[in-house]
Amino acid sequence: MTLGESPRLVLLLALGDDELILGHRHSEWTGWVPHLEEDLAFSSIAQDEMAHARLLYGLALESLGEGWDEDRLALGREPGEYRNAVLCERPNRDWGYSLARQFLYDTADDVRTQSLLGSSWKELTEILTLVRMEETYHLEHARTWFRRLAGGPVAAREHLAAGLEGALGESLAIFEPLPGEGSLLASGDLPAPSSELLAEWLGGVGEELEAVSLDYVLERHAQVGEMVPTASGEMEEERPALSVPGVERVGGRWVHRGGFAGAGGRAGRHSEDFPALWEDLTGLYRAFPGATW
Amino acid sequence: MVKSPDDPLIPAVWEALAGVRDPEIPPCSITDLGIVGDVRATDDGAIEIDLLPTFAGCPALDVIREDCETAVADAAPGREVHVRFVTSPPWTTDRITPAGRAALRTYGVAPASGEEPRICPYCGSRKTLQESQFGPTLCRATHYCEACRNPFEAFKPKLIALQVRRPS
Repeated sequence: MTLGESPRLVLLLALGDDELILGHRHSEWTGWVPHLEEDLAFSSIAQDEMAHARLLYGLALESLGEGWDEDRLALGREPGEYRNAVLCERPNRDWGYSLARQFLYDTADDVRTQSLLGSSWKELTEILTLVRMEETYHLEHARTWFRRLAGGPVAAREHLAAGLEGALGESLAIFEPLPGEGSLLASGDLPAPSSELLAEWLGGVGEELEAVSLDYVLERHAQVGEMVPTASGEMEEERPALSVPGVERVGGRWVHRGGFAGAGGRAGRHSEDFPALWEDLTGLYRAFPGATW
Repeated sequence: MVKSPDDPLIPAVWEALAGVRDPEIPPCSITDLGIVGDVRATDDGAIEIDLLPTFAGCPALDVIREDCETAVADAAPGREVHVRFVTSPPWTTDRITPAGRAALRTYGVAPASGEEPRICPYCGSRKTLQESQFGPTLCRATHYCEACRNPFEAFKPKLIALQVRRPS
């Protein structure tokens, strides 16, 4: 019983798995953030993201056969069947990295879901209309802290900058083209190609970084380390693309110039960090099939 | 399934639903919160109820659904009852009725008004600050009243037209 590769399913899993896996990482902060309000914030954002994943999986189930339910879709897949961006599965490191990642992910998700409101797939636009109302608060959280930390003191700014440097390269691969993207564009399910969304997002993030004089992070971006996928095998011909991320400033605006750090997630190829997360996330489900609580 | 809009039991079903509470906001009935989207009867007499979740990740949803099933089973004996959550139309804070807003205030929660700063539910002052967008439940943020020095909660405005504020 395999999931198949229908382009619509790939799109839903890319959107849903990003939310599930990043939601799991956010939830790891529960009880640990050295600030009560932020403990609540990351826990609440995690709860929202997992609910959004659930809505998207619910839509995916309509096209899947007997034997699939939302728990199995969330917890009962093999590692190579998850299509989240590699950025989402990386460990939290410190709070500066987690916040930087939340800022980069949620601004990217905003661009992506805004575009998808123009999709011809009515059920998806209904879900995303609801999701975007809740995401408003995630964006406000990310931008509030982004500006506050960027404004100093020095230690706060350094933590934010280090977090951005660590997360920025791989955040571009949120817009790694989806397998089957051509047919999604032709059917109108996808109103705009990933490359167009990436250009819009990167331009906007570049402006936000420049506004607080942190755009040097973009200049250093090409030094982000190479990703080594281990979860599901072969590197094959994709390998050259994995190590040549790049952005440059053209005509006053930051643009992508080919290649992604941390690519492969949309095709189910994950980083060395994924297996441990997968074991943690799915352990109970695999040990006690059908368990309820 | 053909709808039977004229089923005589529909008003009784609404009345039963008005007795169901959100366990996280006990003074306010779910009809006043605006989370009952539609009540229908099918041609074979089953009662169908569409609920609109306030926030998709609200852990009280399953409790609310079960409470609805129990309440409606009592009001419509012998009928099949189907309660489901739907995503369209999306729930917005505009759906909270005036009675619901009053009930929220008695519970120390400022109803969503779209106004900033929020009005303190205890003393009515506007001299308040938002402490965090997040609070004890997904649908509420934490605020502080500088006039009566009480912390209070406020329903997060949830509006389709609410645009993301980009930095200028």
